Amino acid sequence: MANEGLSCSLKATYPDFSLQATFSVQAGELACIIGPSGCGKSTSLSLIAGLLPLQEGSLFLNGNDLTQIPVHKRQVAMVFQDYALFPHMTVAQNIAYPLKIRKTKKAKQIERIHHLLSLVSLQGYEKRKSQELSGGERQRIALARALASQPQLLLLDEPLSALDAKLRKHLREEIRRIHDETGITTVYVTHDQEEALAIADRIIVMHEGKVMQQGKGEDIYNNPENLFVATFMGEGTILPYNVIQKTLSTPTPSLPYAYKPKEGKHTIFFRPENVLIKEGQAFSLVEYLPHVQFKQAQVINCEFQGDHYRLLCQWEGHPIICHSTTRPENKEVTLAVRMKSIREYVDGILVP
Amino acid sequence: MRENSSLQYKRFYRTMPIPASLVLLLLFFVPLFFTLSSAFITEEGISFSRVVGVFTDSYTQRIMLFTVFQATISTLASLLVALPGAFLIATYNFRAKRLILALSAIPFVIPSILVVLGFVIFFGNNGFLNRILMTLFNLNEPPLKILYSFPAIILAHTFYNFPIIMSLVSSYWEHMDGHCESASRTLGATKTRTFFSITLPRLLPAIISACSLVFLFCFNSFAIILVLGGGPQFTTMEVEIYRQARMMSNPGAASALSLFSILVTTLLLLWYNASQKNLARSEIYRRDILRSEKRPASFVGRVLALFYTLFSLLFILGPIISVVVRSFMASPSRSASQEFSLRWYRQLLSLESATGHMGSALTALTNSFMIALVVATLTVPVALTLSVAVRRSQRKTSFYELFGMLPMTVSSVIIGLGYYLISSRFRAGLSLHYILVVLAHMVIAIPFVLRTILPEYRKIPLSYMHSSLTLGAGPLRTFLLIELPLLKGSLFTGAIFAFALSMGEFNATLTLANSSIVTLPIVMYRLIGSYNFQGACALGTILIAVSVIVFIVSELAKGGKYGQ
Repeated sequence: MANEGLSCSLKATYPDFSLQATFSVQAGELACIIGPSGCGKSTSLSLIAGLLPLQEGSLFLNGNDLTQIPVHKRQVAMVFQDYALFPHMTVAQNIAYPLKIRKTKKAKQIERIHHLLSLVSLQGYEKRKSQELSGGERQRIALARALASQPQLLLLDEPLSALDAKLRKHLREEIRRIHDETGITTVYVTHDQEEALAIADRIIVMHEGKVMQQGKGEDIYNNPENLFVATFMGEGTILPYNVIQKTLSTPTPSLPYAYKPKEGKHTIFFRPENVLIKEGQAFSLVEYLPHVQFKQAQVINCEFQGDHYRLLCQWEGHPIICHSTTRPENKEVTLAVRMKSIREYVDGILVP
Repeated sequence: MRENSSLQYKRFYRTMPIPASLVLLLLFFVPLFFTLSSAFITEEGISFSRVVGVFTDSYTQRIMLFTVFQATISTLASLLVALPGAFLIATYNFRAKRLILALSAIPFVIPSILVVLGFVIFFGNNGFLNRILMTLFNLNEPPLKILYSFPAIILAHTFYNFPIIMSLVSSYWEHMDGHCESASRTLGATKTRTFFSITLPRLLPAIISACSLVFLFCFNSFAIILVLGGGPQFTTMEVEIYRQARMMSNPGAASALSLFSILVTTLLLLWYNASQKNLARSEIYRRDILRSEKRPASFVGRVLALFYTLFSLLFILGPIISVVVRSFMASPSRSASQEFSLRWYRQLLSLESATGHMGSALTALTNSFMIALVVATLTVPVALTLSVAVRRSQRKTSFYELFGMLPMTVSSVIIGLGYYLISSRFRAGLSLHYILVVLAHMVIAIPFVLRTILPEYRKIPLSYMHSSLTLGAGPLRTFLLIELPLLKGSLFTGAIFAFALSMGEFNATLTLANSSIVTLPIVMYRLIGSYNFQGACALGTILIAVSVIVFIVSELAKGGKYGQ
């Protein structure tokens, strides 16, 4: 067990749902817990913060066992979804709240408030009331307040979900910057894959109270350990394994592909950006590498996405999603996917 | 996030309501125990003979029937008066709308003894209405002779209760979307047809809920029946309980009668609660919809709105204003006509020698003030700690909420009876008597204060408390630094309510107190009984002033939300 950072094994049973999640976050890391609503990500945060009792399992932060420490002594700060700025206090009083509790000297308090406000780029906001702040400002003040007590761990519960898309992108950059400046170990809960991939050092994917996969964003996206993670973290196409037999093309015999069907529900998965599309002219490069070819696929739908087109095609009754840089002229196209980009799953689990 | 308190804090939130619960237990169940025991325990030991005797007696059966009858008629009359108002408020946007809606809160804050007085002064044979009609039409005889009769009871109940139905139904109506009505019109129904086959059925849950509340009030009505009913011919359960206990010296029979009252009140409250839940669940009511506001388009609509406004002003404000006006009037000699005078106030403040019951007015004023002050200070902490427990409970309706609302199942006359039985058991002296009055007022005030604090408490998101905990404050510190400051306003409102409730409390006080106990409403009652209406008006004006303060505070306290 690593001494630094957070390592936990959370077990809790509720009338409608049970949680059994084991994961760890290294010191100074920004980790994202992601999953559909009701997967237990917010419950996990509450368990770590101590707002919910941990029925079983373990919880270590920088080598200290937290399970028996009450919330207010855990040194775990949390930013809530609704920010929970105290409406009867000014911004300065809100930030001073954890400092006063720790009996910080008055002069030190003022200095700290000033420092934190400049950290979240809201200098001069001391006297304002929370009602006078915009959503994004509230969010940053809540962050400043959480950081005021210099906690050992920072928890963020969907901090951007109440904001509009443009502000969300800006504020996630801010959160990443503040994290890098303070170097505080952070756990960030979100249901937005893009957000998680954009800012996390480590992503923990949860589903129905269990951790489905944890690791770097690139690993999670490119090598999903199971079909849930594969389809949750972005789009893709799932096809039965036996289509390979019909569509495999190995132009260079020196690079053979071994067709090995397995017991159980054997499927393949690939992402839309790995699908190449051919209309008349030849595929480049791919022609010389092992790949599958879906001939005479029908284009059902074509959506313009700005920097690419998203096509929904149908091949022998199977839907296939692919991206293209140009709008296809014909209704019939040929699609190709390199074997290297295809992942195999048996009963939903990745075949290594 | 799951609403659940952490293991470490369960103890804090569990201990918090214990003192309050003990107080409530003592204040409510001990008197109730005395009442029930005297209903069942006779000289021969435990027996049902007394209860059976009361329930089979034809006289009491007649009273029970009359009680239900007058409550039904009063409710229907209130509904009849309220529905047009609800329609106007929900459909149109006229200038006086806010005024009517604000006025409709008055009956909630005005004590019943004041209603009685206002009614006598306004509708009485020598009252303002008759005098106006006499001068208008050159009559020698007062045209309205309704005092001390069945219509008087119904009229007073209607005045007291129609605004309740009006405001409840109109607020439901305003939040109903009009699509169904539009659909009905496009399908070929006339306006009238649409109202009766679409709108009215959709309104029904709100109407039923409001009516059951009013029925409950009329069923438990005491002062109005006691004074305006004018005799045993129009006696209801509550009055009979009081009469048996205090005039016939037959507390056993009074206790047996209370059983019936408690039974009916509890059933009505359960029914009301169910209808409330039904309302909350109904798909029709949606907070986000507020009917498109528009001025009365038609001339008829405008005239109707004007007429209704004048009518409610006359009906609601008329009696109150007459009380104030009469308190400043006196005739210098027996034959002279009345003119402006401060005589009643001078008598009230003992600046001028007073005769009869006016002599005890100043004592009554100071007594009432002191009692109300003590009641307000003691009730708020009890209600606050109970609401902490309710807020922290995982269940929707917690045990403590029901517990705190329990005193509502028992009418104030019966609470008074319980305390009367205690005082006679212990041969209470004067000071103990006053303490019992304070305790009885507290029992009556607790549910109301709880109902003031709880909604405000529920508005505070749990994340505020959780934030404070994660920022390093313990549960007690969180309570003191976050919850208490945010609840300050509602605690103040609750205290004012408790104060006003105690100032105007008549039913329980009259039932429990012996003749040496004087409070403002009691002296008012005695003054009315001895036909010194102007003296009563002077006292009434003070009560009105208190009610006006409560009214303003409760109007100011409306609305307000935390967070986004």
